Formats: sequence, C-alpha cells, structure tokens
Amino acid sequence: MSHSDTIPLNPSSQSDIDEIENLINSYPTSVLPARPPSPPRASIPVSSTPPPPPTFISSNLPPPTIPEHNPMPSAAAPPRPPISSPAVPTATTSISSSGFGSPPNTLTEPVWDTVKRDFSRIGSNLKLVVFPNPYREDPGKALRDWDLWGPFFFIVFLGLTLSWSASVKKSEVFAVAFALLAAGAVILTLNVLLLGGHIIFFQSLSLLGYCLFPLDVGALICMVDNVIVKIIVVAVALAWSSWAAYPFISSAVNPRRKALALYPVLLMYVSVGFLIIAID
Amino acid sequence: MLPSGENYAHPKICFFHVLFKAAALAFYILSALFFDSFVIIFVVTVLLSALDFWVVKNVSGRILVGLRWWNEINDDGESVWKFECLDQESLARMNKKDSWLFWWTLYLTAVAWIFFAIFSIIRFQADYVLVVGVCLTLSIANIVGFTKCRKDAKKQLQAFATQTIASRFSSTIQSAFSVV
Repeated sequence: MSHSDTIPLNPSSQSDIDEIENLINSYPTSVLPARPPSPPRASIPVSSTPPPPPTFISSNLPPPTIPEHNPMPSAAAPPRPPISSPAVPTATTSISSSGFGSPPNTLTEPVWDTVKRDFSRIGSNLKLVVFPNPYREDPGKALRDWDLWGPFFFIVFLGLTLSWSASVKKSEVFAVAFALLAAGAVILTLNVLLLGGHIIFFQSLSLLGYCLFPLDVGALICMVDNVIVKIIVVAVALAWSSWAAYPFISSAVNPRRKALALYPVLLMYVSVGFLIIAID
Repeated sequence: MLPSGENYAHPKICFFHVLFKAAALAFYILSALFFDSFVIIFVVTVLLSALDFWVVKNVSGRILVGLRWWNEINDDGESVWKFECLDQESLARMNKKDSWLFWWTLYLTAVAWIFFAIFSIIRFQADYVLVVGVCLTLSIANIVGFTKCRKDAKKQLQAFATQTIASRFSSTIQSAFSVV
C-alpha cells in the first residue's frame, strides 16, 4: 500500500518485535564471554587492550572464526533494516560484533602464545603481590587473575632449598615443607572464610603462595652457614612476606577480626622462617 | 567402540596429550627401582603431572575437542567459571578418533591414580599418598572441567537451534509486516 512507510506500526507489535530482536541479540552475550580474550585465569584487563589478531594453527580444520561469524550476524541482520526504531539496532550491533571478536582467539591461538601469556601472568601477579604498586589499596582487583603456577613453583623451590641445606633426612624435610605450606595455605584460607571474610578460595591460595617469594629468596641466601646472617636475612624476608600479605587479608575480613585472620598467617611464616634458620 | 576409518587429525598433539600422563605414571612406578630419594620422585612426578594438566587444559582440550574452561573473577569480586567451545560446525567436524583418545586417556589416568592411592594407603606410606593425591587432584580437576564444558556445549547447541528458529520466525514477521 502507498501509506506503508508513513503509517506507524501498532505500538504493541513494535514492542513484540523489539522483544524478539533482543532475544536474538542477547544470545551471544549470555553464552560467550564478552570481554576481550579471556584465557584461563585471565590476565588481560577488560579495558583497553585490543584482542590479538586471530592466528590459526595449521590443522585440518578450516579456521573456525569465519563460519562462526557468519551465521549469527546474517541471522540478525535481515530483521534490522526494516525496523524504524533506531536505538535498539545500534546497541545490539556493537554487542554482537565485540562478542564474536574474542572467543576464537583463545581457542585457536598457537601454543606458544598460551605459554607466553601464562608466564607473563605469573610475572605480573608476582609484581602485584610482592612489590609496592598502586593497586595495593584495592586488593580484590589486584589479584583478580589468580593462578596457581607461581605458588606451585615457589613452594617446590622452597622445599628443594630446605632439602638441599639439610644434611640428613632430606626427603622428610622436603615432604614436611611441601605439606606444611600447601596444607597451611588451605587452612589459612578456610580460616578467613570462616571468620566471615569475603575472599575467593583460589585467589587466597594464590596470594599466600606468591607471598612466599621473599622467603624463597631468604632461604636461598641462607645457604651460607653463618647463624647471624641467617637470622637477619630471615627476619627481613619474614617482614617482607607479612607486609605483602597484610593488605589482602585485612581487607577481606571485618576490621574487628583483622588480628584473628592475620595472626595465623604470621605464625605460619614465622614457623617457615624457623625452619630455614634451623636447617643445617 | 574404537572408531576406525579416519586417522588422527592431530597426531603430535595426541602424542603430547598421552606423553606426560604416561611419563608421570611410569616414573612413579619405576622410580622405586632406580631412585632412593623421595624428593626426586615427588618433584618429577608432580612436575610431570602439572605439565600434563597444563597441556590438557590449554592445548589438547582446545585442539582435540574444541573445549576450554577457566575461572574468572568478575567486577563484583565473585568467581565465575567460564566454559567456551568452538561453534557447532567446527565441533561437528572434530576428528572422532582424537576425541575418543582424549576422553579415554583422561578417565584411565584418573583410575590409575586412584588405584595407586589405595595401594599406598594400604601400605601406610604417607609421603607417597601425598604424591598420588596431588596427581589425582590434577586429573580430576581436568575431568570435571571438561565434562562441564561439554555439557555447556550441548546446551549451547540447543540454544543455537532455538535461536535460529526464533530468528527465522521474526524475519517472517518482519516480511509480513513490511508487505502490509
């Protein structure tokens, strides 16, 4: 009919169309991650870094990004142009396009990229936890991209160092050190959680593991035999570890229970310190 | 049970997928014959297990079955488990032999570690229980993660199907309204 473009659509049918359109276009965001590449224990911040260009491993599969991109936008595109309401289509276009930009990158990236990313994440977590930096006031954000590789290496390293310094019973020393540190981290985390603190289990494990780094350095230096040097070095390392752990733990619990949460952490580090001094 | 006909699509990846698992198990079994020191047994076995965990989670899971899982902490400070899979067309194209190998070796390794755990508990060797416990935890973590990921992928498949139906439905409505 000649009036088709001047007669406005019936309001109720317009809203129905909008609803269906929202249903279609909300699908990608609810299922696929909308953030830029989110690898396991993601280290890439949400804000500004653009997703790396998709690189394809040489395999028998054709690159999956192209077929993945095509069905969605093509299904969503035809309904959009005839609709006269301007606001909805532009918003949903941007969501669907950014939603599809990211996932294939982590699923099809080369192995070497994954390795490099994990290593850089360990480094950045270490810097965040152990060294002074501006994020310490907001601990929850600082260790958001937790990972357990760093703590694993540090615990094993500490166990190996202690075992190396021991002249007898090397195996027991290692086993005791490893079990003490691992079980200690778990129990300390449970302690914080039971005190009503808001901390995520793995984040806290990761934190307590990274805070072992100063003690690792101390144990390495303590391989010299002089007792006085050992005591000084261990005291410094202990102070550093406690300083590193303090903001995260204390911000997680009720201020009145801060001491209850912090004391066991300090106790554990002190006992590890004694272990380092006493080993000969 | 064993799919025949096609060959492995990614033989190198399959090899690595199996390599670290087998190496960890073999080292654990044979180490008692060669090494006296528990420390070496512990460190090497746990290291191989951890490497295997990383390989399965980041490499062979992606390439052999097109699945990936991880944990994120969102802005509210809550931990969210994310599951990701390739789009349905690529998933359908995955090599059957690859995925058969992937899943079966995953399950078999966990069963083997459980067997060793029972064995060491019976013998009251606490330190070996520790080793086996760590390796078992890593295997089970991968199994749980990938199983959840697969279920999520199936849910996505259903959602995708209903979504295409909905989009076709709405496009018919659009064309119906524009004709008027």
